[in-house]
Formats: sequence, C-alpha cells, structure tokens
Amino acid sequence: MWYRSRKISLVLFALLMLIPFGAVTLAQDVVTIEWWTVSSEEYSEEVQRALVDQFNAEHPNIQVNITVLPESGFTERMTATLGAGSGAPDVAFFWDNNWFPQALDLTAYIEADPDLDPSTYFEGFWNTRSVWQDKIVGLPLGVGANFVMYNKDVFDEMGVAYPSPDWTTEDYIATATTLTDPDKRRWGGDRPRGPFRAIWRNYGAFPYSDDSTTVEGYLNSDASVAAYTWLWDLVASNVTPTPADIEILGTEGTGPIDLFLAGRLAMATLNQGHVLTAVESGVNFGIVPEPQIPGNERYANAWSLTASVWAGTEHPDEAYEWLSYWVGPEGQQFLMQNGHLFPSIPAVLETHPDADKDYVQAFFAVLEQRQVAEWVNAHPCNGTVLRAAVDAWDLVNLGEIGRDDIKATLDSLVEPAQQALDECVARLGA
Amino acid sequence: MSLNSSAAHPNDSFADIDRQLRRSNLTTALRRLAGNGFLYFIMVVLALIFMIPLLWMFTTSLKTRQEIFVWPPTWLPAVPQWDNYADAFAKYPLARFMLNSAILVMINALGEVISVPLIAFAFARLRFPGKRILFIMMLSTMMIPGQIKLIPLFSLFSRLGLIGTYWPLVLPSFFGNPFFIFLMVQYMRTIPRDLDEAARIDGASTWTILYRIILPLSLPAVTVMLVFTFLWTWNDFISPLIYLSDFNSYPISVGLAFFQGRYGVEWNMFMAATLISIIPVLVLYFFAQRHLIGGISTLGLKG
Repeated sequence: MWYRSRKISLVLFALLMLIPFGAVTLAQDVVTIEWWTVSSEEYSEEVQRALVDQFNAEHPNIQVNITVLPESGFTERMTATLGAGSGAPDVAFFWDNNWFPQALDLTAYIEADPDLDPSTYFEGFWNTRSVWQDKIVGLPLGVGANFVMYNKDVFDEMGVAYPSPDWTTEDYIATATTLTDPDKRRWGGDRPRGPFRAIWRNYGAFPYSDDSTTVEGYLNSDASVAAYTWLWDLVASNVTPTPADIEILGTEGTGPIDLFLAGRLAMATLNQGHVLTAVESGVNFGIVPEPQIPGNERYANAWSLTASVWAGTEHPDEAYEWLSYWVGPEGQQFLMQNGHLFPSIPAVLETHPDADKDYVQAFFAVLEQRQVAEWVNAHPCNGTVLRAAVDAWDLVNLGEIGRDDIKATLDSLVEPAQQALDECVARLGA
Repeated sequence: MSLNSSAAHPNDSFADIDRQLRRSNLTTALRRLAGNGFLYFIMVVLALIFMIPLLWMFTTSLKTRQEIFVWPPTWLPAVPQWDNYADAFAKYPLARFMLNSAILVMINALGEVISVPLIAFAFARLRFPGKRILFIMMLSTMMIPGQIKLIPLFSLFSRLGLIGTYWPLVLPSFFGNPFFIFLMVQYMRTIPRDLDEAARIDGASTWTILYRIILPLSLPAVTVMLVFTFLWTWNDFISPLIYLSDFNSYPISVGLAFFQGRYGVEWNMFMAATLISIIPVLVLYFFAQRHLIGGISTLGLKG
C-alpha cells in the first residue's frame, strides 16, 4: 500500500515537473507582434483594441501587442527607433516616404497570398502608397482627399446658389467675393496652401518635364503663370484670410476647420476627417471638388496611409499575417463599421454606412479624379524643384510681387530649379 | 513776563511741534497709503493681464467647438458645457496619466537630491586630479542638444532592454544633471570654508560635513533644483513618448497630446484637460514661490 502510494506520488511529481516545460513549449509557439498605431478621428484607440482582440482570438499562435501613440508624436518616435536600428515595431504606419527603405519587401508575400489581391484596392492609392522602387513596401489603409466644404447656412443667408461640382476657378473667386462680410469678419473662402495642391495641376502646371530633364517651359509655362495669376487675383480680392490670419486662427491640423465651424469661412478646402467633425458639430454643409479649368484634366489631392512591416522584424510571417488582416478587407471593414474609416478598397467602401448621404457621395466622386500624388511619387525629385514653385507661391500669397511680375519671377526661378533638378536626378534618378 | 512768556512758549511750541509731527506723520502715512494703493492697483492690473490666458482657457473649456472662434469673441459661453470636463476624463484616463507624472516627478526628484549635492560637493570642496577637466567635460554636455542624444540614448536603453519601462525616464537623474550640478557647485562655493574646517577640527568626516553642514545651508539651491525638476518632468513630452509603450503608463504631457487628432484639435476638451493638469503645478508654485524666488535670486538666475 505504502509502496503504491509512493509510486503514485512519484508519477504525479514527474508530471508536475513536466508542466512548466509543456507551458514553455506552448508559450514559444505564440509569437508576439509589436504594432504601433495612432488614435485619430477615423479609428480611436478603443476601436483598434477591439480589432486586435478579434485578431488575437482568431489567431491563437499570434499575439498582437498594440501601442497607441499620439498623432503629434508618432513621426518622432518612428524616426528615433528606425534611426537607432533597434526597438522598432514589427508592424506600423510608414507614412513618411523616407522610411520606405526600412520596410520589408512584401512582394513575395502578396504573390503567395490568395486572400489579398492588389487589384481590389484603389489603383491610384496602391501605386502611390504601396509600390516604391518596384517593390511593395506596404498596404494602403483608408483614403483621404481635399475638397471644398461650403456652409449652406451662409449661402442661404446671402442668397447665393450652392456651388456645382463643375465650377471653375473664376467661379470660386466670384462666389467668395459675394459671401465675404467684413463686418462679421467672415471670409468667403480660403487660399490653396501651396502649388502642390490640386488647382495648380488643374491649370496644367508641372514643375518640370515628364522625363525629369527640363524646368524651362514648365515651371514658367503659360499654364503655371495662369495658376499664379489666379492666386494673385484671389489674394487681391481680399476675400480670404491672410497667411497671418491663418497662422493665428488656423489652429493645429490640416485645414482651417475651426474657422469653418465658427461660420467665419463660408468655403474652405478641407478633407474627410474634417467632415466627421462638421457632422458631429451639426454644421449644415455641402461638398464640391476643388474648382476646375474647363477643358483640362482634373486632379485631386488625395492620400492613403502606408502600413508596413519593419525589415528588421524577427517574425516577418506573423507580422504580414497581422498587416494583411489590419489593412485587408476584414480589418478595414471593421474600422469602417466601428470607427469612421473610409476604406481604400472600393468594394468595402461601397458598403459605408453613410454611403447614401450627399457628402459621402461627393467624396466618392472626388476619389475618382486623378491624383496629384501619382505624378509626385513617379518623380523622386519633385520635392526638390517644388521648393522653387512654393517660393513663388509664397511671394504671391504675401503680396510681395505685382500681377505683371509673375512671369519674370518664375523665369528667375528656372535656373536654380534646373540646377537642383540636375543634382537630384544624378542622386536619385529620373 | 519774558520768563512767563518764555515759559508759555515752550508749551506752545511743543504743541505745535506735536501737531506738526502728527500732521507730518499723517501726511506720510497718507502718502505711503496712496503709494501702496497705487502699487497694489498696478499689481492687480498686471496680475489680471497675466491671468487672461488662464481665464481664456477656462471659458474655452466650457464652450462648444463652434463657439470658440466666433466673431466678435465671447468671453462667456452661451451655455456652459461642464460636460466637457467629464467627457475629457471619460475619453482618456487623465487621472491615471497625472498619477504617472507624479510618480515620475517623485522618483526624479529623489534621484536629483541624492546625486546632485554629492557630485557638486566633490567639485566644490574636494581636491582630486583632473577635477577641472572633469568639470569642464560635465559642463560641455550641457551644450549638446537633446535631439542629438535622442537616437544614441534610445539605442542604449533598447540594448539594455529597458524600453517600455520608466527606467530611461528616471535612471539619468540618479547620475546627476549637469545644470543642477553647476548651480549647486556655484552655491556651495559661496559657503565659507571655515565651517568645513571647524567641523573637521571637531572630528566630522567628509560625509558629515556634506550632510550636516553644506547641504542644510544649500537649501535654497536644492529648492530651486526640486522645483525645476518638477516642472521639467511634468512637462517633458518627447522622452516618455520615445520610451514608453503601454498606454496606461503615459504621463499627462503625452496624454494631453491625444486631444490633437490628425485633422484638428478638440480645443474645448483639450483646454479642460490642460486646466486640470496644471493645477498641481500652480499648487506647487503657490507653496514654493517664496523659496523659489529666494533661491533664484540667490543663485543669480534672474533675468
């Protein structure tokens, strides 16, 4: 009897000793993926945690560990960690093109993935935000675009007809002039923030030739002069906030949303994130694309955020698993239904809960336009030469040059811009 | 007669003098009162001007988002939105963020109190080879911008496996802060060496001289150091942002940044949260201002 109980005790002891080893074996099978994200108007911290919980439940071998960072500090943190070469997350937004060299090439993963088809994404966003130097460096999450939001109450008060989608740049100045009321400190509209926005392209202006060799005849082309002259007329009409006004009252963010909400801007160039705020604030508004030039191709300043796997990850397979879930149809559907994301997959976007609303339809129409980013991303030296275009834009914006001096000013910028282009092309290629 | 009259005169003159004195005292008192009153009036006006931003923060925290930028500007909200405070606290764990900040402040203050006087005493009082060079080297580290140190420090703490913990935020304070060391050295140099020598004759060790004589006499400098440590730690944004990963471990400086979204700022809630977050700073300043101003003027930090 005593012998038997001793034997049982020994067996139990041996089993107990084996439990930790078993646990270790099981723990080793579970891979933890570090994921850094931000909390924004489109996907709150709570919604993203819920998405992670759902993924973790469906994938017992992968545990995603979420780190939510403030929007205003994400770039600093990513730059520091990527610069240090250690401590970077397995999966994160790679929204700065300078980070692309440190993103894992996903081409082989995507080719082998039957559930992820690049053709299901908006082509423009896929080309501008996923493909870099013939590699697939990430997947595009969500879509955004600039358009003109107008305050219907102000239009009604002034007895002005709402702008139509086919309005022109001249219509913009005329409408803004009618809506301006100095006594109420109300401006009719705002100014495009730079020549990189859609209007400059709508005029047919480009900083240099498509083969990246010539600035002369492009930066100072008739189309470019026409775009700057339109800006000059807009500035001279005194119907928009000055750069100083915007500096003081524009507030943080990507557009003068607070002035628009306060009814002090009858029209403003804003985006889908601002629409959410306007809806929440109960503002009576409408949306139209940025004004066009009749007969010219129409552009939209649109974007998506690249989400990537860090090239230094120790678990690329599991990291891709999470990335393709987060930015794939399932994840974007979840973020749309539980948050406010506008997905970058048309088939998912069509099922948007507010798809039947006018402003969402207007936003969809803007997404169908050609993107400014298509040209920008195809020309790595665009930013270098664009500085000259921005300088001229600023001179007009600040009232530093006369209407008749625009051509001469652009001519004077051609030579330094050409030098910058030549230097850049030698470095980065055409 | 002359005697009588001369006898009467002194009384009269004493009375006159007394009257004159009283009048003079009264005039002086009135003048002083008027002078002080004017001074107080100017100070109250200045205080009100300096308080305008705080007042604006408070009223903004009670407005709807549309009201904040209306023209003409309104000081008071149409209907005070007290819910903004509740919403701000409901949206993010602000109380937790503030507690985290308080923990960081306390640990850093402890670290500075332990390390700084020790190092400063060595530089101010002890003789050892290379003292001057070491002091200059220490001072030169103050000239290196924080941004340059960011990536090497991150790399260091990453290799030590300390990312995601409070260690990178508190460990440096236990090795001294060059600015505080410099201040403390300068202050300790003003304390007469006779005190050290007298203590040494009485049998005091170096430690006793530091902790029983020099440190108590350096209290103004220590106060300044503690207040600055509090302010710098409470307001530090970049270090916690870089080193911390757990949402619930963020200090208030990082927590407040969540009110700035990708496309705008929720100004009303941001102001409500900020106002709450500066209360500890105001309370500290209220209680420590006498020591702080005294310490600052003693250390020659004014202006």
